[in-house]
Amino acid sequence: MAVNFEKLILDLVKPLVVHPDDLMVKKFSEDEESITIQVLVHQDDLGRVIGKGGKIANAIRTIAYAAASRIGKKINIDIDAF
Amino acid sequence: MKSFRLETKSIGEQEKKLAAKELGVNPNYVELKVVEERKGLFHLNRSYTIEATVKFDVIKDSIAYLNLMLTNMEVEAFVEARQGEDRQIIFTVDTNENPLLIGKNGKTLDAIQVLIKNLLNVYTEEHYVALVDVGGYKEQRKKQLEILATKTAKDVARTKIKVRLGKMNAYERRVIHTKLAEWRDVSTESEGEEPNRYVVIKPKHK
Repeated sequence: MAVNFEKLILDLVKPLVVHPDDLMVKKFSEDEESITIQVLVHQDDLGRVIGKGGKIANAIRTIAYAAASRIGKKINIDIDAF
Repeated sequence: MKSFRLETKSIGEQEKKLAAKELGVNPNYVELKVVEERKGLFHLNRSYTIEATVKFDVIKDSIAYLNLMLTNMEVEAFVEARQGEDRQIIFTVDTNENPLLIGKNGKTLDAIQVLIKNLLNVYTEEHYVALVDVGGYKEQRKKQLEILATKTAKDVARTKIKVRLGKMNAYERRVIHTKLAEWRDVSTESEGEEPNRYVVIKPKHK
């Protein structure tokens, strides 16, 4: 069974944002080696999702990376505001 | 508990969103309560004072967050949480997929801890400290570090030559500092820049 990375990231980010209506997580691309996931948040929420010095963003990346290691793929997460 | 008061003409989703923005949380975790209702002439100009509070259970909601993450990762695990001393919330994760959740040098475990701590601090103002352990990894690592600290300190005390330990994270460095705090013949100091900070054990008397 394949891990749904969009849902994994969405559920990690959702409680951190003030504007959950303006939150979108979608798969940008996938090939044999890697997956790229795009996370779009409200302008005001960008800081909350990235964290001081990218602390939160990196923690999310590390967890997604661990989950992706099971299927032997690398995962890239792009975080940006609308 | 975080709370915020506002004056409005109605009570609905719009007010919830406004309060959420003010409290800095997701609107799903906001509860509105009418504190005072003022009626104008002929029920026109009705207005309210509403108190918005953050509805968040430190133990239950953080376990739910962790469980959801684990389910999404397709890791079967049992999570327990309890409140320790000094505003510590201690999480223990029991699973048969330890390596996946611990990661290289505990990297994944640290990431989980960062997210839980962040969640607690977004929803409360108590400055909680989250301690997450998977399969006793932290406990074991602490013991190893204490052995390393004692052994190295003995060498330093004997040879009077300072020794530099390998790079460690803040928690690991703290274990070393705490272990050697009472020692008479050595002192400890952290040097270098994150993420390559390390502990140096120095002799006290030259």
